[in-house]
Amino acid sequence: MPLYRCIVPKNSLDYGQRQEIAEAFTNVHCGISAAPRSFVHVWFIESGKDDKVKDSHGDGFLDYKTDYYIAGGNRAGRPPEVRKEILGGLIEKFCEISGADRENVSGHISEGPASWTMEAGHILPEPGQEPAEWYEHETIPG
Amino acid sequence: MIEFLCTVQEGCIPENMRPELEKAIQNTSVEILGIAKGPFSISWAEIPRDFGFRGGKPTTTSHVRGQIPDGCDKETRERLMKEIGERWYDITGQTEDELIVAARDEGWKGNTIKSN
Repeated sequence: MPLYRCIVPKNSLDYGQRQEIAEAFTNVHCGISAAPRSFVHVWFIESGKDDKVKDSHGDGFLDYKTDYYIAGGNRAGRPPEVRKEILGGLIEKFCEISGADRENVSGHISEGPASWTMEAGHILPEPGQEPAEWYEHETIPG
Repeated sequence: MIEFLCTVQEGCIPENMRPELEKAIQNTSVEILGIAKGPFSISWAEIPRDFGFRGGKPTTTSHVRGQIPDGCDKETRERLMKEIGERWYDITGQTEDELIVAARDEGWKGNTIKSN
């Protein structure tokens, strides 16, 4: 957690763009939330218009009209305005790096209780209650 | 209904390993949640190489995302996630750092906020 899935048209982004977007999303999320960087996951899913993608933290399938869509999942407990700020930052960076028009990018952030997820062998704490040693968790495997 | 979606990074979890993982996740779920909470289903998704990132760098992390009947208590949910994790590490050789396991209530709606 968090998980940000970028639903994009086939062959729309090269590796350099994907890596730069992933880095930027990590910066945005951690800059606003103070979460450890190694917990920010970003995936790119090339999808056609008729493909159905499930919401990772909410209910049902993603429903969007734009060519590019950012589907986010966060730990519950942050105020809605913080999630809006995060989402706004992600979309801004996505457009800047990909070159996509702002009106062709949309997104959402769903949330789920922290205690419903285990990462690195630990049940996740509530936002803001991460133990100090998690910030030493900068060694990212793989 | 108990549903799991396992999302893995290309090249990390070979296809011939997946039946054993499915059996392990199902057996663990039935043992901990009870067979009456079924039926059980599991599906797989694979993120192509260089399409998955963690902390801004390419990742090998697997996600096992479960949807379980509402009302599971905290201790049971934690035990479910931890025991699925243990079986996953044993079968795949992945480390704790390379696995996320989630078990959310099937009735949970997500409190979603959307962009303009």
